[in-house]
Amino acid sequence: MTRGAEQPTDEDLVAAVLRGDRDRFGDLVDRYQGRLVNYLFRLLRNADDAHDLAQEVLVKVYQVLDRYDPQYKFSTWLFRVAQNAAIDQIRRRRLKLVSLRQDDEEGGEGRDWDLPSPERGPYGELRNQERGDAIQQAIDALPWEYRELILLRHFGDLPYEEIARMKQMPLGTVKNKLFRGRQMLKEKLGDFLSD
Amino acid sequence: MEADERGETMNRPDHNTYREWLHLDADGELPRDQKARLETHLAACAECRREREELAVLDGLLERSRIPVRPDFRSSVVAALPATGWESRHPRNWRFPAAVLVLLGGLAAAFGISGSPGKTPSALEALFAVGGMFRAAALAGALNASWKGLTMVFGEMLDSPVNVGVFGIFVLCLNLLLISLLRRRKPAPSPAQSEIVLRTTSADGDGDSTRP
Repeated sequence: MTRGAEQPTDEDLVAAVLRGDRDRFGDLVDRYQGRLVNYLFRLLRNADDAHDLAQEVLVKVYQVLDRYDPQYKFSTWLFRVAQNAAIDQIRRRRLKLVSLRQDDEEGGEGRDWDLPSPERGPYGELRNQERGDAIQQAIDALPWEYRELILLRHFGDLPYEEIARMKQMPLGTVKNKLFRGRQMLKEKLGDFLSD
Repeated sequence: MEADERGETMNRPDHNTYREWLHLDADGELPRDQKARLETHLAACAECRREREELAVLDGLLERSRIPVRPDFRSSVVAALPATGWESRHPRNWRFPAAVLVLLGGLAAAFGISGSPGKTPSALEALFAVGGMFRAAALAGALNASWKGLTMVFGEMLDSPVNVGVFGIFVLCLNLLLISLLRRRKPAPSPAQSEIVLRTTSADGDGDSTRP
């Protein structure tokens, strides 16, 4: 266990929880709630869904915490579980959407990520509408291979190495994709960048 | 090459490399020596300075687009944590299996002693007796489909009422030991947990989503 004024690491907190100190899981929640909710919000486009799924993910992680392998970063594991859960939810949504829409004229693999328009919840009011929409549209317009890395980096705050490990990509590929993804974002958000 | 146009020598990074470094720098991933070279380059390159500013603005835009987390999020997560789960089996309580093992050893020793009337066994003989007991139990397990095999084992081992009683307790303890080792208490599912189970199983079955 890390002592003194230093913050305990995630692995320290997990070990403490596994020893029976349940409150330390609350510390992990504090540490990751902002990143997790925002990461899921960008994938699901709905604040309430993002909160609900973040809670499910954290509970799921708690339930299998004894399976956590400390040789991996806790954040890598958490965001992998979160991404899988989000993908499952998006697929289920898409199934619902397809069943509701008889005039399904969509096609192509990239359409997996086309979702219904974002709903406006109480959290949406807090955002600058125009800018928020533009950012969401710019992110949505990214091909998935760039988008997932941009979201992990900018909203999950994961370092390159963790992203590389999570996505099982060479570090150079992560750097390259983030570079290209950001270039695309800059092009889409050009008006806002020059403000 | 642009780098050549800027009068840089061939062993220095070209302009595109510096642009890539700008992104790494914005993420705090640029090594210190490269950062120093980037700063030198920036002093002379207006295009890269503009790119750095744009990156900073983009970063700020994304940062400001974050939504606030519900104030009660932590408490709702903690409240939704299942009351039991791995906690009921970790750390595994070894005291009971250990106690049963000691009892088993004692019984086996007693069984060996009772099978050798009029003679005080040495520690080695007691150890052999314990080993013989386990061997006999294993043999009984291997032959338990065969009444003939069981009869052979019992006929050889159980030649007195005391031995029968001791052997019975021995088998009982062995069962208790196995049960205590294999037991995995199933927690009573909370509503939140049931929901997760449903959601997990209703997904399209692409394996364990919680694997590290």
